[in-house]
Amino acid sequence: MARRYDSRTTIFSPEGRLYQIEYAREAISHAGTVLGILAKDGVVLAAEKKVTGKLLDLSSAKEGGYGGSGEKIFLLNSNVIAGVAGITADANSLVNYARTAAQRHLFSYNEDIPVEQLAQRLCDLKQGYTQYGGLRPFGVSLLYAGYDVHYNFQLYHSDPSGNYSGWKATCIGANNGTAQSLLKQEYKDDITVEEAIGLAVRVMGKTMDSTTLGSEKLEFAVLTLDKTTKQPHAKIYKPAEIDALLSKHGLAKKEEDAEMRAV
Amino acid sequence: MECQVALTGKGYVLVAADTVAARSIVKMKHDEDKIKVLGSHLLMSYSGEPGDTVQFAEYIERNLRLHQIRYLQPLRPSPAAAWIRRQLADSLRSRSPYSVNLLVGGYDIATSEPHLYWVDYLGTLAHVPYAAQGYGSYFVLSLLDRYHNPEATLEEGIETLKRCIAEMEKRLIVGLGKFKVKIVDKDGAREIEL
Amino acid sequence: MSRSYDRALTVFSPDGHLFQVEYAWEAVRKGTCAVGVRGKDVVVLGVEKKSVLQLQDPRTVRKVVMLDDHICLAFAGLSADGRVLIDKARIECQSHRLTVEDPVSVEYITRHIAGIQQRYTQSGGVRPFGISTLIIGFDPQDTRPRLYQTEPSGIYSAWKANAIGRSSKTVREFLEKNHKDDMSRDETIKLTIKSLLEVVQTGAKNIEISVMESFGKVTTLDLSQIEATVQEIEREKEQEAERKRSRLAATAAGQAAMMASSTPSTGGASEAAPGSGSGVQ
Repeated sequence: MARRYDSRTTIFSPEGRLYQIEYAREAISHAGTVLGILAKDGVVLAAEKKVTGKLLDLSSAKEGGYGGSGEKIFLLNSNVIAGVAGITADANSLVNYARTAAQRHLFSYNEDIPVEQLAQRLCDLKQGYTQYGGLRPFGVSLLYAGYDVHYNFQLYHSDPSGNYSGWKATCIGANNGTAQSLLKQEYKDDITVEEAIGLAVRVMGKTMDSTTLGSEKLEFAVLTLDKTTKQPHAKIYKPAEIDALLSKHGLAKKEEDAEMRAV
Repeated sequence: MECQVALTGKGYVLVAADTVAARSIVKMKHDEDKIKVLGSHLLMSYSGEPGDTVQFAEYIERNLRLHQIRYLQPLRPSPAAAWIRRQLADSLRSRSPYSVNLLVGGYDIATSEPHLYWVDYLGTLAHVPYAAQGYGSYFVLSLLDRYHNPEATLEEGIETLKRCIAEMEKRLIVGLGKFKVKIVDKDGAREIEL
Repeated sequence: MSRSYDRALTVFSPDGHLFQVEYAWEAVRKGTCAVGVRGKDVVVLGVEKKSVLQLQDPRTVRKVVMLDDHICLAFAGLSADGRVLIDKARIECQSHRLTVEDPVSVEYITRHIAGIQQRYTQSGGVRPFGISTLIIGFDPQDTRPRLYQTEPSGIYSAWKANAIGRSSKTVREFLEKNHKDDMSRDETIKLTIKSLLEVVQTGAKNIEISVMESFGKVTTLDLSQIEATVQEIEREKEQEAERKRSRLAATAAGQAAMMASSTPSTGGASEAAPGSGSGVQ
């Protein structure tokens, strides 16, 4: 019965629902967790990578690009980083679109694109894919962490329907319910970026499927203001830095036998 | 024979423009407003080909207004000037380019700084402490070199502006008549009487 | 191959229905409630505000927006659709000013929005917009307040008072009963709030009120102002209930004791749980 309305393209079901969007959301709820925390002096993103096989060559991630593996966390512009959850191929094309949009803004206005505007741009595209025939929605949710002079540090979330909203701390992907409630308990309004990093690592430690955390399963990024230039500075952690961060917070995998999980 | 002058001071930008609408050697009108208020804290004076100026200024005005309604905040002076320049630069490379010269003055609420930009029909953009366009600039710029002070109070700034206008009156072969003056500071853009 | 994609999604069924349009209505009915009420020289938009989640930024939850200096719009339905449609309307407002120098009239922009909505019910390969809108405003050089509504089908209409979204039928019926012509500013605001309270159980904190008094003069009421009105309404309701009770008691005094246990109802409360899927406003 429902078949007639949930195949091929996005049309309304008799109850006024768009099944394709709901299915896309479903796809995202199985994807690797992405977590964002807004602090007063920065924004933190953490993401869980799904390791597909032992023989996957991750060596390029050590030097490549801006850090990270190019799977979950991306630099969209010098003032915005994003974490993606969902279909990786869709995510890649959205990231590409976002980077182009940001550069086009720079070209026209000679300033970094305001974060909300960039999120809006992507959402307009996403919305189009839910309304025009022959297209399926993007199976991607994103968290945008950014800085601009209008609203300082910001964190936004957008979903396949083309909706977005601003957050102090939120989480998408697998186990996001657990993470959300942890964040609700522990988030303070005047949290510093250092505390936010600690919180992100702790929450990820609790929500990830695997018992141990390591750089091959985790991506991490922080956006802060450069102390001297006062310009936003995005740092996407390299694998070695993630391992260092984890051991600093007592969550490194080396102590697998000892119950070191200090909380 | 049009002329526009602008200067920055401590927390404000003053923009003055003549009010003559002329065709050939005939003055058609002497109360033409050539300074458009583009937003709460942004204004732009324009000169050039008569039809082009108004057409271009209105186009800019409406687009900046659209931006403000869409994003719930006005463009800051620097991106606004960059965007205006881009429109002129694109127009120059089109089949029918606008022949318009501009001075864009604004007050950046985020940083509490006044900004002035000089833009010409070729798509040049310069961030300047003071500027003048038209024949009057030959007399005015040297005056501003001598008297401009970025820390000047509003009274001092107005004094300098009066000096400039008086000099044009005195030396320029054609009298430009009355000047219209607008100011933009932390309280917004508005017209003032000299 | 492309054939199957570019044909209209909204087609007539054998019995003459446009199902996609009707289903789009369902999306509207899932949206939070919005009410528009016209007074003598004021027009008021009231919306039911979903409570924001604890860690959410309330700034980004927008249900009432300005289209231009003198026109305000509220929508019910899919909020992403709303954003896109609003953007098209905003462009038209400025474009109209640029071409004919005058601001749009309220009816003009309503017709424009409805026109877009209609196109999306007919042209190739698109689904309709899952939103209804209420548009309030003043025409340039005019003092009469205006209120219009558009629907997913592309129909638009002028109203003295109307509601869209969740439980809009209850609210509309309430408005039909209580609306008077020539209401003052305060009366109009009060009626708007009162009608919203028919569906909003949580009171003032989930209500947002925008008041337009003349061309370009829009104010959004503070929470305290709404709270004051809500309290006033509650007091009146209590007094009304009290009167009823005493009347009942008086008549019941002479009757059997079992009659005394009946309690008066306090107005149509609707239960309708908010849609589980986010993205509907």
